[in-house]
Amino acid sequence: MPSAPALDISGIEKRFGEQRALAGVGFQVPQSGIFGLLGPNGAGKTTLLRILNGITAPDAGSISFFGEPLTRAHLPSIGYLPEERGLYKSMRVGEQALYFAQLRGLDKKEARERLRYWFDRLEVDGWWHKEVSEVSKGMAQKIQFILSVLHEPRLLILDEPLSGFDPINAQRIREVILELKAKGDTTILLSTHDMGSVEEMCDEVALLNRGQLVLNGKVPELREAARDGRYAVTFRDTVMAFTVALGASAELIEVNPNPEVPGEHLAMLRLPVESDIATWVRWISEQVELTSCTPWRPGMRDIFIRAVEHQKQPVA
Amino acid sequence: MNKLALIIYREWITRVRRRAFIIGTLMVPVLLGLGVGLGAWLENAEMEENKVLVVDLSGMITFWDDTRQAYLPICPECFPEREQLEYRFADAALSDDEFLLSDFTSMVLLDDAILQHGQAKNLYEKSPSITAQNAIERDLAAAIERFKVKEELSLDYEVYKRLKTKVSLVGEDIITKDGNATGRSIIGFVFSLFMFMQIMVYGMHVMRGVIEEKANRIVEVIISVVRPMELLAGKIIGIGLVGVTQVIALTVLGFLVFQVGGQALEVSGVLTSASNEAVELDFETWMASNDLLGFVLEVNWPLMVVCALAYFAAGFFIYAALFAAIGSAVEQESDAQYLMLPAMLPLFAAYITAVMAIQNPEGQVAVIGSFVPLTAPILMLIRLPLGVAWWELMLSLLGVLATAYGFVLVSARIFRTGILMHGKKITVRELFRWVRHD
Repeated sequence: MPSAPALDISGIEKRFGEQRALAGVGFQVPQSGIFGLLGPNGAGKTTLLRILNGITAPDAGSISFFGEPLTRAHLPSIGYLPEERGLYKSMRVGEQALYFAQLRGLDKKEARERLRYWFDRLEVDGWWHKEVSEVSKGMAQKIQFILSVLHEPRLLILDEPLSGFDPINAQRIREVILELKAKGDTTILLSTHDMGSVEEMCDEVALLNRGQLVLNGKVPELREAARDGRYAVTFRDTVMAFTVALGASAELIEVNPNPEVPGEHLAMLRLPVESDIATWVRWISEQVELTSCTPWRPGMRDIFIRAVEHQKQPVA
Repeated sequence: MNKLALIIYREWITRVRRRAFIIGTLMVPVLLGLGVGLGAWLENAEMEENKVLVVDLSGMITFWDDTRQAYLPICPECFPEREQLEYRFADAALSDDEFLLSDFTSMVLLDDAILQHGQAKNLYEKSPSITAQNAIERDLAAAIERFKVKEELSLDYEVYKRLKTKVSLVGEDIITKDGNATGRSIIGFVFSLFMFMQIMVYGMHVMRGVIEEKANRIVEVIISVVRPMELLAGKIIGIGLVGVTQVIALTVLGFLVFQVGGQALEVSGVLTSASNEAVELDFETWMASNDLLGFVLEVNWPLMVVCALAYFAAGFFIYAALFAAIGSAVEQESDAQYLMLPAMLPLFAAYITAVMAIQNPEGQVAVIGSFVPLTAPILMLIRLPLGVAWWELMLSLLGVLATAYGFVLVSARIFRTGILMHGKKITVRELFRWVRHD
C-alpha cells in the first residue's frame, strides 16, 4: 500500500477582504523529497505557507498531513523558515536558540546537545554568548536555519532559504538540505525564485499564479513535457556548409562556435513535430560532420515564465 | 516548561537583568533621598546674605541702649540669630543715597500705621528672596504682637501666651476609628502616582515589545509555534511581572531604608519625647508619637500592598492589552502616537482626579472614579488608606478584572491580524473590522 503523501492540499480558498489570495488550490506533496512551491510575487505562496503553519486559517478546503487532517497538534512536527525572518536583538544567540528550541517542544538538555551539533556544523559555535545585535546578517541567517531544522521536523518549510547568504554559505546550506533529503526522514517544501536551486534540488514542483495552481508535477517530466522540438547539435564544419545542408529540414534558431572545442560549432534548431530524429541525424551526417545531437529541454526558468505569461485570465 | 511559561520567562528575564532596570530600581530610594536633601539644601541656599535695617519711627519695638550706643529690640527673642539674616535698628530712615552706600540689603519702615493695616514698607536695591521676606515678616509680626499685648491689653506676654488658645481638629472615622485622613490620603496618592507610572511605563514596554517582534519579523516564527493569544498573554504577564518585581524590590528597599534609617536615628539619640527632651525613644515609639508621621504606622500596609498588586495586575492588563493592540497595528513607534492619545486619556483623567482627591479623598468624583474600571486602579488606591468597605473593594476589583478580560479578548483579535500586516496604514475603522471578524 503506497504511503500517504506528506501533504494533501485540496481546494484551499482564502480571501482578504475583496482580494482572493488562494482560489481552490490543491496538490500533493509526496513524502521524503524536496517539493518546490513556485510562483511570482503575490501568487499566494506565503498565504499557503502560513495556512500550513497554522498562522492563518483557510476559508475553505482541507489539508492532510501524512494521512491525518492537519491540526495544531501537528505543528511541532513542522519546521518553518519564513522569508521575512528575524531574531530578538537584545538576547544572546545561545539563549535565543534554546528559547525557540523549547518553544518547538524540545527539552532544554536535548536542545542544548542538538544545538551544539548544529552550531559546530554550520560554524557558529563561537557565537553562543554573543548578543544577536553583534552578529552579521549571514550568521543570523544560519542561526534561523538551525532553529527550523533543530527539532527534526517531518515537514520542513523553507521560504527562500538561500537569500542573504554569500555563495560559500549558500552552498553549505544547500548541502545540508540535500543531506536531509538523502536521510529520508524529512519532507522539504521549498519556496524559492531561484530556478537553479529548483532544478538542482527539487523532485516535484507546484506553480501558483494569482492564487491558482497553474502547473504541478515532477521536474524532469515537466521539462520533458515542455519540449518544443528543439535540439542542441554540435558539428565540425563551416556555418555556411551547415546552413546549406539543413535547407528546409529544420529551423536554425542559433549557431555559435563551441568555446570548449576549437573548430566545432554549437547550434540550436527546431525540427518539425512529425520528423523522426534518427532518420534526420543519418541524413544530415552524410552532408556535415555532426558530433552530437541532444533533445533540448527547457529549464524551469523558461517553464515558469511561459506558464505565468500564458495564464492571463483574471481571477474572480 | 510549557510555552506560555517560556514566553513569560523570556519577557521577564530579558528585562529584569538589564542594567537600566537594576540601576533604575536601586536609584529610586537614592533619588528620593537626594530629592529631599536637595530640597532642604535649596531652601537654605536660596537665602543670600541679608542685612536689614528696621526703622522704628514710632518706637514700638525698639529702645535706645546707652551702654551699647545703639537701638536694640525690646524683644530680642523675636529677632533670633540666623545665618543669612542680620538686623540693625534705628529711629530714623536713611536717605536713598545713604542707603545705597550702606551695606544694608533692605530697609523696613515701621510706623503707627502698621497697627491699623498691618503693612510696612520695605526698601531695597535688590529684592530679597521669598524665604528671607517670610522670615522678616514673621519676626516683625512677633515683635509687634508683643507691643500690642503690652500697650493695648496691658498684659504680661507670658499671661497672654497662656490665654492664647489653639484648636486643631483630630479626625476619626466613626466606623473604622481611624484618624489622620489627610496624611493617609497622601499615602494613597503616592500609591496612585506610583501605579500611574508603573502602568504607563510597562504598558509602553508591551507596545514596544510587540512593535519589535513585528518589525523584526520574529513574530511569524513564534506564531507558527504558539497561538497569538498565548503570545499576547505571555507578553503581558511577563512584562507585568517586571513591574511586580520592581514593586517588590522597592518595598524591600523601602523597608530596609526605614529600618536602617530608624536604627541610625535611634543610635544618634535625636529621637526624643516631645514632652521631655531628656527621654530618648525607639524609632517606632517616636514615629507613633510624632504628629506628622504617626499616621504612617496607622496605615494597613499589608492590605495596601496586596490591593496595589491586585489593582496593578488588573489595571495593567487593561492598558497593556490596549497598548499591545496599538503596537500590532503599526509599523513603528512614531506611527502609534495618534492611537495612543485616546488610549491614555482615562489614565490621565484618573491621575488628575487623584491629584484633586488628596484634599477630599471621599469626594464624589474620587468615589465614582474608584468604580469605573479604567480609572479604578488609580483612584481606589487613594481611598484605600482611609478605609473602604470590603464590598466596595470587591465590586471595584471585579469590575476591573472583567474589563481586563474583555480588553484582552478584543486586543487579541486586533493583535492576531495586525502583527502579520505590513506596509499598510491601519485606520481605526479597520481595527473595528478586525475585532468583528472572527
